[in-house]
Amino acid sequence: MPNPWLELSTWPFQRTASYKLLLTELGLVDADKPYVEVRDDCARQHRSPAVELRLDGPGGRTLWPLLTFTQGALILACLPLVEAPPEPRPPLPSLASVSQGLALLSGLQDFLCGPGGKPEPDVLASRLAALPSVLLQVCPLGRPLDTPPPAGSVPAAVAPSPGGAQKQPAWKAGVHRGRVVVSVALTEKVRSMQYGKSSQQDIWDVYGMVMCKCEVEGVLPNVSVTLTLPPNGSPLQDILVHPCVTSLDASILTACSVDENDCSAFSGPYKFPFSPPLELFRLCSYTSQVPMPPILGSYQLKAEENHLKANVVLKLHESVKNSFEYYEAHIPFFNQNLMGSVEVKVSSGQLEVSKEKSLLVWVLGQKFPKSREAALEGTVHFSGTVAGPTDPLCTGLTAYIKLYFRVADAVFRYCRVDQHSVQVYSSAKPRIVTTRELVSSEYYIWNSTGDAPVSLKI
Amino acid sequence: MTITDLWDQKISAFQLSPSQFLATTTSESFLAELLHELRNDKANDHLKILLVSVLLDHPTILCPSSSVGEETALELLSVFSHTPQKSIILKCNVMLAITNVIICTSCLANHTKMAEDWLDLLFQMIQDTNDYRCGLSQQPIRATACDCLREMETCSPGLLSQKLEALYLLKQQETTVLHQSYCMLYTLGLKNAIRILTTQKDVTDLEFKSILGGNEGFAWKSNQLGLTLLPINMMVQVPRLPPGLDCKELKSIMSSLLEESYLQTPISQSALLRELVEVVAMVPGLSPTLFKSQLLRLFGTADVSLMHATLFMKDTFTDSLFTAEDENFLLKRLVGTAQHPLLRIPEKLFYMECILHFPENRPISSSGEESLPVLVTPRLAASLHPTVFNDSATMLCRLNLLCLVHLEADEGEADKGIRYLFEHIMALLKIIDNDGSREVVVTSFRALFIFLMHFNGMENLSEKVIDKLCDMYSRHSRLAPNLIGLANRIQEHLDDPVWSVKLLIGLQKCIMEMPPLQLTIHNLSWHLKVLKRVAQEGQITQRNTIYLLLNILINSNLCERGNWQVGNAVLAVCRNLLEHPSIDQVFIELADLLQYISVHYDDTDIKDHARFYYTLLTNLSWEKLAGVLVKGLDGGRAKERSHSAIMAENEGIASNLTVHKTNRHVLQLIKVQEEASQRSSGSSELLETTGEAKNWLEVYQGQFHTPGFGSDVNLRYNLTHAKDTDPLFDKVFTICLHFELKDSNYAKVNDIHVPCVFRDRKPPEVKVKLKPFQPYPTTLCVSAVFTTQDGRSWHSQLPDVSVSFPEIFLPLPLPPNTSCECKEQVFDRIWEAAASENPDKSAISLFCFKTGDESLADLIKAHFQGYLITDQQSKILWKVLFFLPPMCHVLLKITQAEDAIQVSIATDNWELLPFVNSYLQNITDHCSTTVTDD
Repeated sequence: MPNPWLELSTWPFQRTASYKLLLTELGLVDADKPYVEVRDDCARQHRSPAVELRLDGPGGRTLWPLLTFTQGALILACLPLVEAPPEPRPPLPSLASVSQGLALLSGLQDFLCGPGGKPEPDVLASRLAALPSVLLQVCPLGRPLDTPPPAGSVPAAVAPSPGGAQKQPAWKAGVHRGRVVVSVALTEKVRSMQYGKSSQQDIWDVYGMVMCKCEVEGVLPNVSVTLTLPPNGSPLQDILVHPCVTSLDASILTACSVDENDCSAFSGPYKFPFSPPLELFRLCSYTSQVPMPPILGSYQLKAEENHLKANVVLKLHESVKNSFEYYEAHIPFFNQNLMGSVEVKVSSGQLEVSKEKSLLVWVLGQKFPKSREAALEGTVHFSGTVAGPTDPLCTGLTAYIKLYFRVADAVFRYCRVDQHSVQVYSSAKPRIVTTRELVSSEYYIWNSTGDAPVSLKI
Repeated sequence: MTITDLWDQKISAFQLSPSQFLATTTSESFLAELLHELRNDKANDHLKILLVSVLLDHPTILCPSSSVGEETALELLSVFSHTPQKSIILKCNVMLAITNVIICTSCLANHTKMAEDWLDLLFQMIQDTNDYRCGLSQQPIRATACDCLREMETCSPGLLSQKLEALYLLKQQETTVLHQSYCMLYTLGLKNAIRILTTQKDVTDLEFKSILGGNEGFAWKSNQLGLTLLPINMMVQVPRLPPGLDCKELKSIMSSLLEESYLQTPISQSALLRELVEVVAMVPGLSPTLFKSQLLRLFGTADVSLMHATLFMKDTFTDSLFTAEDENFLLKRLVGTAQHPLLRIPEKLFYMECILHFPENRPISSSGEESLPVLVTPRLAASLHPTVFNDSATMLCRLNLLCLVHLEADEGEADKGIRYLFEHIMALLKIIDNDGSREVVVTSFRALFIFLMHFNGMENLSEKVIDKLCDMYSRHSRLAPNLIGLANRIQEHLDDPVWSVKLLIGLQKCIMEMPPLQLTIHNLSWHLKVLKRVAQEGQITQRNTIYLLLNILINSNLCERGNWQVGNAVLAVCRNLLEHPSIDQVFIELADLLQYISVHYDDTDIKDHARFYYTLLTNLSWEKLAGVLVKGLDGGRAKERSHSAIMAENEGIASNLTVHKTNRHVLQLIKVQEEASQRSSGSSELLETTGEAKNWLEVYQGQFHTPGFGSDVNLRYNLTHAKDTDPLFDKVFTICLHFELKDSNYAKVNDIHVPCVFRDRKPPEVKVKLKPFQPYPTTLCVSAVFTTQDGRSWHSQLPDVSVSFPEIFLPLPLPPNTSCECKEQVFDRIWEAAASENPDKSAISLFCFKTGDESLADLIKAHFQGYLITDQQSKILWKVLFFLPPMCHVLLKITQAEDAIQVSIATDNWELLPFVNSYLQNITDHCSTTVTDD
């Protein structure tokens, strides 16, 4: 075959052989059997984005490198062209087609699943039906030229490019006509693992992203967004920018989360000049080490005779606006019978016992009390005879609380983006919309009286 | 069901499994159907796009040869030109299909006329930039033409090397979104042209300049070089032009390409950058610093293909473009992106691979294997430490990376790091201990494998692992296969088997110490598996194992229950014990055990096996015993014949009960040449010919009411030895020939038994009876099972037997004494019916040819003798009828026209026409022009 750059169609393999092999390789066959050698061999290392299918068993012909993306029941796979002698096997990073395959599959995933990630079955079916024609467009003759447009990203009011002296970017099908509107949304997510022990260091970090939608006229209009930090704010690290950003100041990229000796004094402003595509896009993303987590918690769970005694205290950091869109603390109990009587008092908000009788949901509502502190105390009996959910991690007194919250119009670290930080070089006066929010992500508080799984940076 | 639905079904069936689909038809007829439907004006674009997709996905299946490819491409071209202008998407698809077919069937490589015409047409299309004539809607056609040309240039490098000036101008003029297509095409052409120039010995300034100014024809010659243009990072030595050439013009072209690269989509941009890197690497006059202006933008990119292209730059130019500071910075960025919370898992895994293959400016080794860049310190990699919250792939990938990091690290730091990794492994094992899911178990054992591969030398750690594993086994005996697997793999991968042996000793001890209650029936099978594996280790004493087995058998009701599987598992341990080198020390105990089983176990088969082992043990020396028990390897004949491998489980049965396999052909079937006139369907009975003025067609068709009438084709073959067989096979006996069909057009063929075949005797004749459902050519896979003189049985494949179309021809199935008038009447009636399209699969067609040296009469005598209907004397018109079971007819009327011979064809099954056509073409091959017309 002269150039099967990426053999990609709705399903390129014959179902009988390769399909089964792929499922085996991904560990998706014979779910009822505890050990199947071809599937579970410990020397088969599944630590690469590319899997190898052995078509005729060990020592036989192989299909490699098969890139796979799995999302729910959907498996996307493509086979990049290996432009090298097959033996010795070239390292994955030496093959140009691998990153193109990864980019294409990411694009396909966005195209099929949309921003929510979980499309309705009929929506997915219609997108799958459109897939062959989309593939022909972005990947004619198996050579990727572009990624498919993300699902549901039809830009409004687009006119064909005027065909003047200025060259039209290939990533922009036409030009915008109509009102000039620029929307910039800054979302920060905060992760934390709090152990409440001197032997184990608590960890937390923040990562953020700026999403933009720019309806601006012209072939290559200039827009710039500037992020600013308060005095003494910790710098933005690991900044990744969209390819439409035209230039970057070297100092913006210097801060890196992996660099402990990083004492670069640069703390903004972070200016991103770019020429926007028509659709919504992620202008940039970053991580950040903040001095304190927004909410500090402690969780103590003790076993007493036939019940558990729980004590929880949550404290809101003074820098965070005390106004939540939602705020819940989930307290699950694993490897126990279902809950019987629950005698728990909360100082603020209400407590609900989930229908499944294995989870306490503490709804803190929109606000902490003035003291910025909330507490929960009481006992939980497990009198039922039916076994509740199991979890291999949370045995004995290993237990956690998981926090879910969202604060609109506030960014924890005060990384600012407002109307003044957006500049549009356009003849018409632009309307600029900015929003910001802080959302929890993987926010755990572990029981300080039990063993918590290690997850620390050394 | 609409036609579209029908095609939908058909095509998805084909896409799902082409081979299975083609089993019920042939690629020729499927291709013919596809092209037929494509020419149908009534079919809508959507359907046609679907049809074309088949040719895009599987060109070589539908066009197995260059000539079919060329014909198909021609057909598609005519479809293309007849497609109305508004059907843009269909047109683009057809263009891609033509290109695909031309490339895949080697039409391009062989420089066929079709390829040449298509290339010209494509170039015209990309030159026709006057979109305004028909609006912007025609843009996709030009874009597709560029894509097609780029593909052709890729597969035939240098094709466009004399057209670069024209391409450059086109690229410059284009300001619409299409400029990306022109730019990519130009850049590829430029790179290939320079690459080809590097193969030339002396390059003058003029030659170098003429590349950029080229505006001539296509360079067909260049692909005679047979160049396979690997990317430069795959080559041992980068091809380079001589230094000192004037690069001013090229430099400015490169700069403008780089400046505009921003306008391209990230994937195309990355491809463009790679091409430009290759150009700079090949031309000494160009400095890598050209890329400097792009670097900062690329360092910050979130796009994986652009980041990858940057690493390619780094790999190619090292310190001529990247300072030590840049290198450090880039590596830090890589580590940062490898754990960036907003990137997808496969991307992060890829970045971790990139760290392990990081192109350092001063690499210590360049083996291409995983190795850690010197700059990756434990401190830098700290954020990549695996945790139990990671998904499996990320966790394993990080663990592997961190193992390498701490293996290289300074002592103090390494201790801390390794301790952390060890704690991580222990945390994983704790999860398993708490009944982790199967996925967790598998992942944890993979993690253990990685850890041990790196740190098995650290005895205190590896022994703690063993203690933990044994401790876990005592609670979770279902882990037995995982543990055995781990012991095996570690033993295979490390030269030093000590760790595995220690683990197995630990497991043996663990089983010995179990309270009898825990040796329940279910767990017992796991324990026996472990003990069987333990018994393979010569260094481990086996006395305890034997005591345990005897103890269990005596003190439980296992013997009374007589479960075959359990008995078999016990015997499997015994078998390995028989081979154990220190068997002398436990001789009596083992004999006791075997005797106990042979007397008390309530299963005859188990008893017999035990007695057999007992006999072997007590009668043979250990050396003999070991020799007898060694599993036969392929080829070692003496061992294969040993009668002792009668062992349970999956260890195979005695080799003399085995059918041996030989991969070489031993026998073959050779077609017996026969005269056509001898052929008969073999089942026609005498017809009553007394009645007058009968309707012979009815009589003829009446015959088919008899079940099985005229349904067989008998083919005769000689069964002979294949060339160069082993003398062992000179005399073979009781041969059973087994036939497998490659398609489902025929009924299953019965096995044929032949008493013997001797090399020096006349080969026996076998008659293969075929019963077609569809009379298409086919191929039979034949295998034979036979016995050699030494009593062993063999299985061998015979060369495939192909059955060609004319081999299925039978004469009109009427009794031999039927008069010519009767036959002619039948012929005419069938012809009339076919001509009036009744039944509806009928068709008529015409085939013309000119006779060469051979006269028409000779031709007819040679090929149609047995099938002639008309009087032999007639010299004006010949009527020929081929009967094809189960009930198809192909009728030919052959007449000598003025300047050519005309063969009118009628058939009641139009799907046969392509075969008839190729048959006629075949037999008239040496004659001049052939023309067909449907």
